[in-house]
Amino acid sequence: MEELLEVGKKASKHARKLGVDEAEIFLYKENLTSIKFVGGIFASRGGALKGLRGSLLRIAEPWIKKKGLPVITGGVRAGVGIRVVVKKAIGFASVSSIKEKKIMETVENATKIAKIRPPDPSWDSLPKPKKPRGQNGISDEKIQNLDIDETLKLCVDSCIVAGDFDRKITQAMMGLSASAMTFAVINTKDIEVGDKGTTFTVFMATKAKSGNEEVSSSDMLMSRTYIENLQEFATNTSRNAIECLGKKPLPEKHIGPVVFENISWHQLFSTIFTPSISALNVQENRSIYKGQIGKQIAEKSLEVVDDGTLLEGFGTTIVDDEGTPKQRTPVIENGALQNFLYDNYSAKRENKESTGNANRHRPPIASYANIPMIRPTNLVIQPQRGNLENLVSENNSGVLVKGSLIGVHTSNVITGDFSVTADNAFKIENGRVAYPLKACTVAGNLYESLKSIIAVGNDSKCFGNVICPSVAVEKIVVAT
Amino acid sequence: MSLQIKELADKAVKHASKIGVDFAEIKSEESVTRNIEAVNEEIRTVSESNNIGIGIRVFNGKGVGFSFSNILDKEHIFQAVERALKIAKTSKRRTLMNLKLAAVDPRTETKITNVKNHPRNASLDEKKDLCLRECKTALRESKRIANTLSRFGEYHGTIYYSNSEGTEVSHQPLLTGLTISCVAKKGASIVDARDSYGGSYGLDLFKKEHSPEKMGENAAKWALEKLEAKPAPAGKFEALIDPRLAGVLAHESFGHLSEGDTVAIGASPLAGRIGQKLGTEIVTIVDEGRPREGGYSMPFDDEGVPCKRVEILKDGVLKCYLQNRVTAQRLKMEPTGNARSQDYSFEPIVRMRNTFFNVGDWSPEEALRELKRGIYALDSAGGQVDLTGTFLFKAIRGYWVEGGELKYPLLDVALTGNILELLKNINAVCNNLELFSSPFGGCGKMEQRAFVGLGGPHIRVKDVLFGGTS
Repeated sequence: MEELLEVGKKASKHARKLGVDEAEIFLYKENLTSIKFVGGIFASRGGALKGLRGSLLRIAEPWIKKKGLPVITGGVRAGVGIRVVVKKAIGFASVSSIKEKKIMETVENATKIAKIRPPDPSWDSLPKPKKPRGQNGISDEKIQNLDIDETLKLCVDSCIVAGDFDRKITQAMMGLSASAMTFAVINTKDIEVGDKGTTFTVFMATKAKSGNEEVSSSDMLMSRTYIENLQEFATNTSRNAIECLGKKPLPEKHIGPVVFENISWHQLFSTIFTPSISALNVQENRSIYKGQIGKQIAEKSLEVVDDGTLLEGFGTTIVDDEGTPKQRTPVIENGALQNFLYDNYSAKRENKESTGNANRHRPPIASYANIPMIRPTNLVIQPQRGNLENLVSENNSGVLVKGSLIGVHTSNVITGDFSVTADNAFKIENGRVAYPLKACTVAGNLYESLKSIIAVGNDSKCFGNVICPSVAVEKIVVAT
Repeated sequence: MSLQIKELADKAVKHASKIGVDFAEIKSEESVTRNIEAVNEEIRTVSESNNIGIGIRVFNGKGVGFSFSNILDKEHIFQAVERALKIAKTSKRRTLMNLKLAAVDPRTETKITNVKNHPRNASLDEKKDLCLRECKTALRESKRIANTLSRFGEYHGTIYYSNSEGTEVSHQPLLTGLTISCVAKKGASIVDARDSYGGSYGLDLFKKEHSPEKMGENAAKWALEKLEAKPAPAGKFEALIDPRLAGVLAHESFGHLSEGDTVAIGASPLAGRIGQKLGTEIVTIVDEGRPREGGYSMPFDDEGVPCKRVEILKDGVLKCYLQNRVTAQRLKMEPTGNARSQDYSFEPIVRMRNTFFNVGDWSPEEALRELKRGIYALDSAGGQVDLTGTFLFKAIRGYWVEGGELKYPLLDVALTGNILELLKNINAVCNNLELFSSPFGGCGKMEQRAFVGLGGPHIRVKDVLFGGTS
């Protein structure tokens, strides 16, 4: 990090020399390894190879152990994003390099850009240094010095576990990425900070086949540290696929309670709710929650907090991407809206303080190439009681939606309306899972759903910037 | 490309051969992306990003390893080479496939992009004005135009590729684009419309039919028209499809199925069907690196292979798949120059370039005149496809047609179906081929983005399932 701070300080000096009013240098370096392993495309189990004229894989054994198709990439990505302000006009330029010469050129480019822009009357200033309140991000040495052999073996072993779970499993795929990053923010208001951290993300997909029916299931795990044992995770992914065999249509359209597994609920909640609590969206009339602070927007028991100080959170670093300390910001308490999330710009517009929510992470574009936007750090839906099974048992009749939903990006974030497809859904009868459902459309309104929550579970899971449990809500329309 | 990076790349290839790889290749890249965004008549965002780096792929036996670095000194680049080899060795022990590269002749070639008014030489002011002119024209059309958003984007640079077989090629990608979207309001109803154009051209592209004034006027006109639009009826109708929507069909629902990697693992419904008749005789679908009609121009792919013009479907018959050197070897076909990576930090995978329906002999007027009852569907806001060829697209403009005449405008219409059935129902292909490309976004596959071109002429299809307003 010292290396980054040093070159950042030089760039900041250079900007001053060019006569800009303010400058901010964001430096980022990431060591990234990604492994994808497609384990066993199982010909003799009636898998994907049928009708291929035998041109690809000749697999004699029913279950090929320890081999498959690995795709591994790894490398170092470093770069700098520069904001300069000239007479309240902001210029941004970035470069995928941390070489001094390139950075100086980029400062000059950002300055040129600022000069063609009109002044932004809402611009106040870049943030000033503040005392940190939270914690540094976790940096796991095992990820920093990743053993590729061992990690590939972890993927292979997991695929074997998934395939061994049941003979009907025809394919298991695992994707894994491990990242060790360092960043620093330097600005002309004397901010000189940085942090480092590691993340570990695992994705698994399995396919199962019985007769002519083919089903699939997927799941993910996200952690700040290396996960040594993925057996339970792999078993569950396969179990989920097997449980989906024997799909039936819904006898009639269902309008009523739906239990969303944490992963499905997270998709709807992050996509629709998250933008609505961005202060910038509120200021620009793009949020339903404008003027709603203090008002009841959700069922009374619902507690939501954005906690950038949560030790194991994916979004935990000592400061945000413009150098403001991360903090704990209550969003919903007893069902009432408490706060919006701010970066420095939106905060100054309202004469407030930033909540430390400036974020540049927008893959597949590298962080340094993005202008900061308001994003949650770790948006936590506080767990209440019961696991998925308990939530199901509380509903006499309804639908259980599990796994990844399709088409969540088509949701209307302004109105909250969503209509998505669920491939892993089940009919609930007499408080029990009765049978799997054919691919069904699940439609409702997320903002209404928050008011009609039946139960919030305690099976919280981390999905990057959102940590949430399974949730049961009313008034959802499901049709097959 | 700076000489220093080229030298570094050449040293890395030599170093790789020294430490025991069977094959090594390097993609070096130096590129700039600039975006300008105006809301109404005010510039909102201007940003520039410079991308410089080196990606390395090595083969060791049947193992493949990929690594990259954008810290461009000998130490880091050699580390990346060694890391790629380590990955290849690790992979080797776990791989079922015998990954090999199809043979190609080594080649040394440098292609320079010469266009009038290249964006790298133009001032920021000139580009900024394109956005402002576009917004201004649109806002002037009517008081009902409540909001306009205009974007200008440019991407250009140099890509240098070299490998241990002696191939050394370099080219200069270029993409410029201009787009506008307008929101129109009347009472409680809010609608939007857009126009855009882009391709491997200099800024003179925006002088005539694609001038900011013309595009601003179009977007405003189309938005205003939509205020009077009716919901589309649901059901099966004959449809006239415009070049943009035809391009989305060619790329999203058909092109992806023809990609060699999907074919090689048997996941595509086109696997093993070469020589079969999949569409009517008038249907030809092409994927090409440098079409004359526009799009995103690329002479070589990211394995240094020249981009061939591929007629995937010719006169309705499946002729070919899109290949990189690995899938070509596996499927015992020729590499087609379809290996592409988002940038130096991604490994090359099979991707499309410019995918389009080839011209037929109908005039668009004729094709419309003979449409007795149906829908004229234009442009697309995206949608969903799967590997069986099933698609759902939203057309963002549409007209109800009766007796060969446009009767009234329609709100967004959703089309669903399966491309393999649709190809059999095409009953007219017109003679007005248009190609489109855009520096905003592009095609996504396996967490990589790539700039592509797509398009076609107008095509007419019977029995298209329209989903109404839902």
